[in-house]
Amino acid sequence: MNKQCGSVWVVAEQIDCRILPVSLQLIGQARKLAKELNTSVETVILGDQMDKRVQEFFAAGADRIYLGNAPELAIYQPEMYTEMIVKLAKEHQPEIMLIGSTSMGTELAPLVAARLGTGLTAHCIDLIIDDNKILEQRIPAYGGLISIICPEKRPQMATIASGVFPHPELDESRTGEIIHLEIPNEISPRVQTLEIVREEPEGIPLESAPIVVAGGAGAGDIEGWRIIAGLSEILNAALGSTRPAVDEGWTELETMIGQSGKMVSPELYIGVGLSGELQHMVGIVGAKVMVAINNDANAPVFEQVDYGIVDDCREFVPMLIEKIKEYQERKITC
Amino acid sequence: MIDFTFTEEQEMFRKAAREFAETMVASKVPEMEETGKFSDDLVKALGEAEMMALTVPEEYGGLDLGYTVRMIAIEEISKVSVAVGMMLQVCALGIEPILKFGTEEQKKRYLPAMAKGERIGTTAVTEATGGSDPTGIRTSYKKEGSDYILNGRKCFITNSHIGDTITILAKDSENPKAFSTFIMEKGMEGFKATREEHKVGMRGCNTGELALENCRVPAENLIGDEGKGMRVALAAIGDVGRGGMVGCALGLQAACLEASIKFANERILYGKPISYLQTIQNKLADMKIDLEAGQLLGYRATSMQDKGMRSSNEFAVAKYFTTEAAQRAAKMAVDIHGGYGCMEEYAVSRYLRDSFVLGPSAGTSDIMKVIIGRWALS
Amino acid sequence: MLKIIVCVKAVPDPKEAHKIKIDPATKTLTRADVPLVLNLLDKNAMELALLLKEQLDAHITVLSMGPPVAGNIVKECLALGANQGFLLSDRAFGGADAYATAYTLAKGIEKIGEFDLIICGMASSDGSTEWVGPEMAAFLKVPVVTRVNEIVEFGGEWWKVKASLENGYRLMQVKLPAVFTVSRELNTPRTLSFSGIIKARKKEITLWDLNELGVLEETVGQKGSPTIVSSLATVNSKRIAEIISGTREDKVEQLVQKLADAAVI
Repeated sequence: MNKQCGSVWVVAEQIDCRILPVSLQLIGQARKLAKELNTSVETVILGDQMDKRVQEFFAAGADRIYLGNAPELAIYQPEMYTEMIVKLAKEHQPEIMLIGSTSMGTELAPLVAARLGTGLTAHCIDLIIDDNKILEQRIPAYGGLISIICPEKRPQMATIASGVFPHPELDESRTGEIIHLEIPNEISPRVQTLEIVREEPEGIPLESAPIVVAGGAGAGDIEGWRIIAGLSEILNAALGSTRPAVDEGWTELETMIGQSGKMVSPELYIGVGLSGELQHMVGIVGAKVMVAINNDANAPVFEQVDYGIVDDCREFVPMLIEKIKEYQERKITC
Repeated sequence: MIDFTFTEEQEMFRKAAREFAETMVASKVPEMEETGKFSDDLVKALGEAEMMALTVPEEYGGLDLGYTVRMIAIEEISKVSVAVGMMLQVCALGIEPILKFGTEEQKKRYLPAMAKGERIGTTAVTEATGGSDPTGIRTSYKKEGSDYILNGRKCFITNSHIGDTITILAKDSENPKAFSTFIMEKGMEGFKATREEHKVGMRGCNTGELALENCRVPAENLIGDEGKGMRVALAAIGDVGRGGMVGCALGLQAACLEASIKFANERILYGKPISYLQTIQNKLADMKIDLEAGQLLGYRATSMQDKGMRSSNEFAVAKYFTTEAAQRAAKMAVDIHGGYGCMEEYAVSRYLRDSFVLGPSAGTSDIMKVIIGRWALS
Repeated sequence: MLKIIVCVKAVPDPKEAHKIKIDPATKTLTRADVPLVLNLLDKNAMELALLLKEQLDAHITVLSMGPPVAGNIVKECLALGANQGFLLSDRAFGGADAYATAYTLAKGIEKIGEFDLIICGMASSDGSTEWVGPEMAAFLKVPVVTRVNEIVEFGGEWWKVKASLENGYRLMQVKLPAVFTVSRELNTPRTLSFSGIIKARKKEITLWDLNELGVLEETVGQKGSPTIVSSLATVNSKRIAEIISGTREDKVEQLVQKLADAAVI
């Protein structure tokens, strides 16, 4: 008989005491993984005055919570957070550790992984337990999917973006064990977060928008990009992008949809001037209707949507905007 | 085995020129097309990017990179704008006579500022009587004390109005077989740029007339010996001028091919991109063959020039072939674009106009054939 | 003097990287002749180093790990203005994941010697993990700030920087020596210059292999990587597009009708 399998951990994240949705989504997925491994789900949360919030973790599926509660943990402090998580992991030997692909998670996860001497997979879009009880971490690459495993080192670590896994059904009757963490004595920090400033995002948030218009390299230039933005405006949609569009500087990184960006699940998705690279397409989850406009009839995007228009988007989209305007006016007068 | 590859360093120079063209030149093209004027900002940027310094030795503030790198730079810039490639190529024509025949004092006086692009160079040989037979020119000089008095009119001079230091060929008013070359400077009394031309293509590249009216030029501005100026002037328009035109033509050929490939992959006909059609592939293949052949001819000539070998005939062949090929390429590019090719929004319409200006510059194709024919018979 | 080390990576040219695909039959990567270029974000890292060098007394070392041909991108950085270059190149380094890459680079940095600041692009266009910078910092036991998008205060022992965050930023105070990974918003990288390329002729690139680096074979490359690629798979889509054809006018008309029928607009 194998030795007792370690737990599945989720390193949760909070902003102003509010637990991020991705942390709960990961607990939901951790529950499934833990079931196959016949082990428990444990959550680490560092913050201030988080004791009132921990019930959410139990409701989402956690069996045990490691709670670090102190004013100096209120916002992410790289060294303190890393120290505490590394120490805890060394002590409890988790089998799997999942972290959200947030700015914090993307910095914290590699710091922890390197200190624990283990592997880390970025921006996974699926996690399954294989026949050998090993975590298969799937990421899109080279027009397909690749599976990455960490066969020997533990924990098996992965970061996952918000929206990859659904929100778990909350069971408010669930409870569990809370372990209060000792706050380390004054370590003289070499890096400190002085302040976190958040601005209200402009426009409709991509993640919850009923209509998403996404633009890619096919826009050609900033003028072409404005045409696509025009389509999103008339539809009252959120405007998303692909990495090439971000690299061109037409839009901000925050608008990028896909593996290392945002996950969207709109009623209607319209992809304009994008080829349909999997890194982007995995970001569209459960859209009701999907449309692609691209001038290359062989673009892989046409194998991934419901309606395809083979045309130059810079010519087609302005006409589409006019037609939609007509339709909207008709609808109002009817 | 002959090595037909560029060195890693030459590839890096190409990259530097390409980055410059894409970041600094591309955005200026619409303005130059519209106004027909060369952008002042671009003159400054070309200078700062050391584009005029390529053929100037280090001791005169240059980079001493030779003619192959110069062709690489002109080719890359001309991919984005032949007008800018042309302006740049002609700067070297002002530099070359001073470099090859100037006194140490003249070199020290003129070359550093020309290499920095602070003084724009050009050369003026052509007149209404034509440029291919410079013995027919009418601009004359007459010695008066230690000075020379120049009279005459030069036409179709690139950089005529933006040029600061201009080498000019004139005939001895008393001896029709004696020619001399002088360094003229903007602002000299009796010397001015007059008419500005409006060319069918290369808009923004400045071309015009220069007038000399009893213009007094001190003896220190004479390049080389008095009466032996013909070879001085020909040093400019010969190998260096033709090499420059080859760079411009190669850039235009490449631009035509690139635009055509992009359009052919995007334009859908019968449910497929037109690049699937053999007739289009045939055109693309023709353009590719011409470009490959043109590069071999052009860079063979510059590598000979860099070794100090005589290369005039090789440049004549390359000049003939590439400028003709550029015209073919531009026509095919427009054809591939169909109706779009006639629209000014599409760069290929500009390429077509530009391609026609390549031919006459630095000697028409017919003149090249005269030279090549002579070479064949020799 | 501020000693800066910029870590750079040679990546398949992003304009052509789509040519590398998973072969549906063999489930292996198709070989495509895609040239290697300097990773885009590493140009921002170089630019920061050069800006610092312009304002402070600084010395820039460029470090890369990769096949011998990656020497070209080190040379490019020297032409941009770095003082010296190092390339870690050995067959044994091949197949490294982010962990083994960070470990090998950290060993290279230890061998180079003292440093005040290590700068790298926040991610590479081919790996997109963002791991190498922070993992290197962990191996070198120095602090790191990732996604730096503004330098607020510099020159002293403690620097202040802004790092991008979802809908905002965090203001960080960090004590040197440290690692920064930088984002595209930080600056606009300069372009190559001719005289820079000429000056690079005299600058040296030192090549270190496994022995010269003095590391054990099992700690680097594929052997030193905790993670491995276990399988490649192609994806079968659940949807196939109905291509709407006709004149442009027809297509617009049909599309709007279909969207209206589906009640999504």
